[in-house]
Amino acid sequence: MPDFKVEIRARLAEVGLSPVREAEIVEELSQHLEDEYERALSCGASEDEARQQVLEQLNTPDLLRRELKHVEPRGSEDPIALGTERKTNIFADLQQDLRYGLRTLAKNPAFTSIAIIALALAIGANSAIFSVVDAVLLRPLPFKNPNQLVMLWENAAHLGFPRDTPSPANFLDWQKQVTSFTGMAAMSERSFNLTGLGEPERLEGRRVSANLFELLGVTARLGRTFVPEDDKPGTHVVLLSHSLWQRRFGSDPGIIGRALTLNGESYTVIGVMPPFVQLPGFDNRNDQLWVPIAFPAEEAAEHGNHFLEVIARLKPGVTLKQARAEMDTIAARLEQEYPTYNTRRGAVVVPLHEQLVGEIRPALLILLGAVGFVLLIACANVANLLLARAAVRQKEIALRLALGASRSRLTRQFLTESVLLALFGAGLGLLLALAGIRVLRTFIPVTIAQVETITIDGTVLVFTLFVALVTGIAFGLVPAIQGSHFNLNNTLKGGGRDSGGGSKGNRIRSLLVIGEVAVSFVLLIGAGLLIKSFLHLRNLDPGFRSDHLLTMKVNLSEVKYPDRERRAAFFDEVMRHVHELPGVQSAAVAGNLPLTYNGDSMSISVEGVPDPPPGQQPDVVYRATGPGYFATMGIPIVRGRDFTDQDNGDSKDVVIISEKTARQFWPGQDPIGKRLKPGSSTSNSPWREVIGIVKDVRQNDFIASPKRQMYFTYRQLKNIAANALVVRTSIEPVSLAVPVRNAIWSVDKDQTVADIDTMDHIVAQAVARQRFSMLLLGLFAALALLLASIGIYGVMSYSVAQRTREIGIRIALGARRADVLQMTLKQALKLVGVGMILGLAAAFLLTRVLQTLLFGISATDPITFLGISLVLLAVAILASYIPALRATKVDPLVALRGQ
Amino acid sequence: MTAVLRWYMALQYMASPVPDRELKKGSAELMILSLLENRPRHGYEIAQLIELRSRGAIRFNVASLYPLLYRLEKRNWIRGRWVEKAGQRRRRYYRLTASGKNVLSKQRAGWREFVEAINLITGIQRA
Repeated sequence: MPDFKVEIRARLAEVGLSPVREAEIVEELSQHLEDEYERALSCGASEDEARQQVLEQLNTPDLLRRELKHVEPRGSEDPIALGTERKTNIFADLQQDLRYGLRTLAKNPAFTSIAIIALALAIGANSAIFSVVDAVLLRPLPFKNPNQLVMLWENAAHLGFPRDTPSPANFLDWQKQVTSFTGMAAMSERSFNLTGLGEPERLEGRRVSANLFELLGVTARLGRTFVPEDDKPGTHVVLLSHSLWQRRFGSDPGIIGRALTLNGESYTVIGVMPPFVQLPGFDNRNDQLWVPIAFPAEEAAEHGNHFLEVIARLKPGVTLKQARAEMDTIAARLEQEYPTYNTRRGAVVVPLHEQLVGEIRPALLILLGAVGFVLLIACANVANLLLARAAVRQKEIALRLALGASRSRLTRQFLTESVLLALFGAGLGLLLALAGIRVLRTFIPVTIAQVETITIDGTVLVFTLFVALVTGIAFGLVPAIQGSHFNLNNTLKGGGRDSGGGSKGNRIRSLLVIGEVAVSFVLLIGAGLLIKSFLHLRNLDPGFRSDHLLTMKVNLSEVKYPDRERRAAFFDEVMRHVHELPGVQSAAVAGNLPLTYNGDSMSISVEGVPDPPPGQQPDVVYRATGPGYFATMGIPIVRGRDFTDQDNGDSKDVVIISEKTARQFWPGQDPIGKRLKPGSSTSNSPWREVIGIVKDVRQNDFIASPKRQMYFTYRQLKNIAANALVVRTSIEPVSLAVPVRNAIWSVDKDQTVADIDTMDHIVAQAVARQRFSMLLLGLFAALALLLASIGIYGVMSYSVAQRTREIGIRIALGARRADVLQMTLKQALKLVGVGMILGLAAAFLLTRVLQTLLFGISATDPITFLGISLVLLAVAILASYIPALRATKVDPLVALRGQ
Repeated sequence: MTAVLRWYMALQYMASPVPDRELKKGSAELMILSLLENRPRHGYEIAQLIELRSRGAIRFNVASLYPLLYRLEKRNWIRGRWVEKAGQRRRRYYRLTASGKNVLSKQRAGWREFVEAINLITGIQRA
């Protein structure tokens, strides 16, 4: 057959077609001419005659060139030259690579799906965790120049309060004397009973200095914020939060100037704040309203009562170090001026961002690292898949090389395919992340700041794209280089089995699996440590029985119930109603339930013991309770008795103390009958006789060991009010919520009842952060294990397929199936073993960063390490068992015939 | 087809100076579109069918057939696709698109009117 292509090509030379288009036209026209040639031969023409007849069609001068010029666009100046060394156009190359890559991926749906799913899970997890990190750690706080904002605390480390809430007197002295800040503002938590508007509601809020919002750079959405004139006792103005305004007042634009009844007093609404404005503080309270702090004279002089939270803004040009130095000087000065109250009390300056996220940062960064590890494992898996595929594509690669394609061009082509896979994986991963965030939000602890702003935004999208590109290059590079660099001769000759990387490819695959095993081992150890730590935590005795316990907050209005007699009368009546309800075993009045409140403390003096020097008085946490509290809470009374109704304002003052208090103040003695009093021995407070000793209770914090504690009966307290009810039930506690609330309303229909909850739930919330870290790390470790198992399975399957002939020969020569199984499993275990050794070494180094999250165990707990090793080994054996079983089923005849 | 038109077509496709380029192009397009109406065909098959059905009166030169096919493809009246059948080399098959079908029916109607008009003027009877 004559070569008509040369003739056609010669006539197309001046048309200026792109090489690809030219090749297509040449192929099509030459086929036509070849068909014409054969027809001419079949009609009896000789070869020469037939050739002449055919070429006549091309002999009209310039006809082909002219006709094509009208139709075909001119090719580019620097034409694409696939498979040649001619100058290339990078965008045209990229376009071609993308088209080719998409076609190649579409032609292998099984491989493409597995790779995309693995990448989607890993990249999606990274995006979800990054969105949390972005919202909580990276995004600037919604205040003006937030990096200038600091929180100020008193340092009373000697009393166990390294960041103690400042007293009003100290705050005012700081404000007068300090020069490093443009302004300083105080906040104090306050609850409000909103009445007169349908159902009474208890609202969390704060008293704040008038300059607070100006300091933060936040303006009101409606109306105005406070001005200095508002910050005077008796000024009853209130700012509403956006959510309260929406929920309770229907976003009424006429709300400004309206009067509200809060705690029995009338307040005028002067403004509504923008959405999502929350003040920083000790915990992430969801304030509903704000009133001016307006210190009355006696409160302003209060040195011994520590309850404020203080924010300040650094002056421009003043560093944190300078501010700290100045505050130290002022604290020292105050120590001299007020030795009774300020001895050994320093000042602490903490950047606001650090205050809000300092505690959660380690956990979040660890999770980000963990999810990065999962991504590494997914990359290794996909790289292995690509390596295996490169082996299958040998002939294609060989032909392209033979046709003149450069290795760098092929490498680029393979990398494009990898990046495409990663981008598809990232796309699907983002959808998974969106769903994941919805789930995450339900069990992210609410105490974490900014949690409501967690979302997939521009930053997260950019992060995901970046991860996809880096991932695509990372897992694609080795297979791309490997795939384009192999022995061309062997492949074209059909040497088959051993090419496509050969032993080098196998080594790389084995190394990848070893890496996967090592990384997943580290993650599993981390998860195991956190799980064990969490179980320790949950098994801690809180000091009370949390089951079947219904709780609720009942804050009495100071206006309606100004004295203890009226408060006692109210609670007595309520208790009478509650005890009559079916399903109630016992009920009691309480002040600030365990694990819901940090706890107020006071210094005390012990009768017969000389007062210690100023600043060294022992501090004891106190709570107000009622008769039956300890029995209801399940707190054992170790010695003595509980309060009774006869312990009231007319009887002698009594107190119940905890075991720790008893040990520390009366070591080796029986404290029953002994006496103590708040303040120094010369203060006006009455001496209180110890009538009972109860077990220590985890009041403030589930993790820290209980502090010294004491309990008063609310019937004997003038100023400290009980504010909660606890009810022990014989039935499901939640089922009694409405009846108990109705019992309260039957006594006072305007009384607010809030925070109805079970004690079990409160205890669970107390360890929410630990649970969050444990669950997530456990999930990532499980994902890593799954991916690593798939990796082991894949490599072993491939190895068995490669060694089919060898296995066939062995069986033919007398090897038993059991020997083959053993041989295959040994190969797998060698890989896993090396991976585990490397993982063990890495785990010893890396798990130390977990130490801050662990409770009750060390970061190198040997039992955990051993347990996880056995789990990993078992899973690895399982993953390699199926390929090993397949190896034993090799038919020697088939295997040998396959050569 | 009338003798006059046959003469025109023969002139065009025997590579002699062309009397009316548009007329020739129009009829060639109509032929190709109508041959692709029922099923896809490759270029050589199209050329063979035209020669066969015209009893040799019209023969397509490779230098004019394929540019014409490419022109129709550019207008999206036909679409070409490389097809590899078992045991054969790959070939480029063309098929009619939806807009091509539309054009075909319009061109058929137009051609019928034209032929009738010529017949009326010249008094030539229908073949």
